[in-house]
Amino acid sequence: MITLRSLTKRYGAKTVVDDLTFDVEPGTVTGFLGPNGAGKSTTMRMVLGLDHPTSGLALVGGRPYAELPHPLRQVGALLDAKALHPGRTAEKNLLAMARSNDIPDRRVGELLEQVGLTEAARKRTGAFSLGMSQRLGIAGALLGDPKVLMFDEPVNGLDPDGVLWVRGLMRSLAAEGRTVLVSSHLMSEMQLTADRLVVIGKGRLLADAPIEEFIANNSVSAVHVRLPDAGDRRVLAERLRRDGAEVELPSDGELVVRDMPVERVGDAAHALGVRLHGLSPRTASLEQAYLELTASAVEYGVSERALGV
Amino acid sequence: MAATHAEWTKLWSVRSTWWCLGSAVVLMAGQAGLTAISESTDLPASRIAVDGVFYLVQFVVLALAALFVAGEYATGSIRSTLQWVPVRRRVLVAKCAVLAPTLFVLGVVLAALAIAVSVPLLNDRVPDTSIGEAVRTALAAGAYCALLGMFTVGVSVALRSVAGALTVTFLLLLVAPLLLGGMGLVAALDYLPGIAGVNVMLGEGEPSPLSGNPVPYNEFAGIGVLAGWVVAALAAGDAVLRRRDA
Repeated sequence: MITLRSLTKRYGAKTVVDDLTFDVEPGTVTGFLGPNGAGKSTTMRMVLGLDHPTSGLALVGGRPYAELPHPLRQVGALLDAKALHPGRTAEKNLLAMARSNDIPDRRVGELLEQVGLTEAARKRTGAFSLGMSQRLGIAGALLGDPKVLMFDEPVNGLDPDGVLWVRGLMRSLAAEGRTVLVSSHLMSEMQLTADRLVVIGKGRLLADAPIEEFIANNSVSAVHVRLPDAGDRRVLAERLRRDGAEVELPSDGELVVRDMPVERVGDAAHALGVRLHGLSPRTASLEQAYLELTASAVEYGVSERALGV
Repeated sequence: MAATHAEWTKLWSVRSTWWCLGSAVVLMAGQAGLTAISESTDLPASRIAVDGVFYLVQFVVLALAALFVAGEYATGSIRSTLQWVPVRRRVLVAKCAVLAPTLFVLGVVLAALAIAVSVPLLNDRVPDTSIGEAVRTALAAGAYCALLGMFTVGVSVALRSVAGALTVTFLLLLVAPLLLGGMGLVAALDYLPGIAGVNVMLGEGEPSPLSGNPVPYNEFAGIGVLAGWVVAALAAGDAVLRRRDA
């Protein structure tokens, strides 16, 4: 269990993490989602005691990370897969890691096997691809058989096989009752692995909900109606509004109807005898919902003018 | 203890450690041999060993300690180190606990090597080095290397950069004596770390080739001077390590 209470990190005048409060529960995969620069990595570094919070608390099992007696046996983390001495072999790197927390040496061989790096055990990590480094980092996270796991963008640089393997691994770790926090900037990835979503933007909490609830709350569906005649458009819009729908006229020849199923919109048009050129229900994807939610909170956003919109 | 075990594993699992130690052996043996066969030499074997430590071996010690500690900031592996051992002072202690005995053995072995190489090559004009003097010099060289290594650990953590750590220690060891000497502060020279190290190896009352004066204190006082530098550097390193984000 990871507990954040009003966690805040400022660098000078810039607030990177802003008053974050949420819990990461055992037995579930919690997706930690936000655009690049939203403060995900900084938050994770504060949980591990690598960065000091400006204010607030980050606790693991009710205690600050630095107070855990054998931290690697309680919290496993993959933050930066390249934070290794490039001249040390994968095996020696894990061996030093194991010894730092009195983890038996034999775990090293077991973990290298589990992540598929047995063949590369004696290779220097400087020669590793990003994917191999990620696997080594995951081996390191699992080395102490910890109850709490954090992964920062774990599928970065992995081939499709590796991506599937990581998804399965996250699910099975949570099924074993462990606390799993996985960060990503991709909604699609989270949709496939997470039970719960924590969304942040510009360091602030935007959403914290089970994934079904997030989908229900954030994926807006609408019916798009195309009518060639301007008079017909007004008549239909008026009728639908009276029946309780929310109607917009975004462009010439089109109505966007919310809060009403497509069948009732069609029936209303038929009853009024107006001519239709199109009638289609559209469900906004979760990806869109996420983009809308974080649109105002994108740190390195491209301005609309630059996009030529 | 676990942190020290991990640092021990880290020290011996990178090639730079072996390169440093190997080059120290080659440099020391070469310097001692060449000095000893030179016709003009009037230095006893123990003095040849002291020169070898001051002009060659101590820079290997600096490089080894700076790479082992400040090098972690260059590779980013300091973040792994602090994740494994989040009590930061424990990391500092473990680095010292691994380097000090390693460098002590290095200093003893290299001083003994220099004496063993030069004794049979020296001409008749040069006074013999007694066994007792050889042992004393070797132990003093070991102590100096160990203390210089720990000093570099402190400077490395305080400056978080290999280049910075090497520059500062190099200035202190070689340039500071020239500056102070030029300003006429000869009495202060004996309290700089490099000169103090040579003084420990020479012994009380021996004329120092660096300051020109006889060594004003005995070995233990000299080790005390070096220990003062070590404590100051480690205190600075500890303050920075505790406060800064990794």
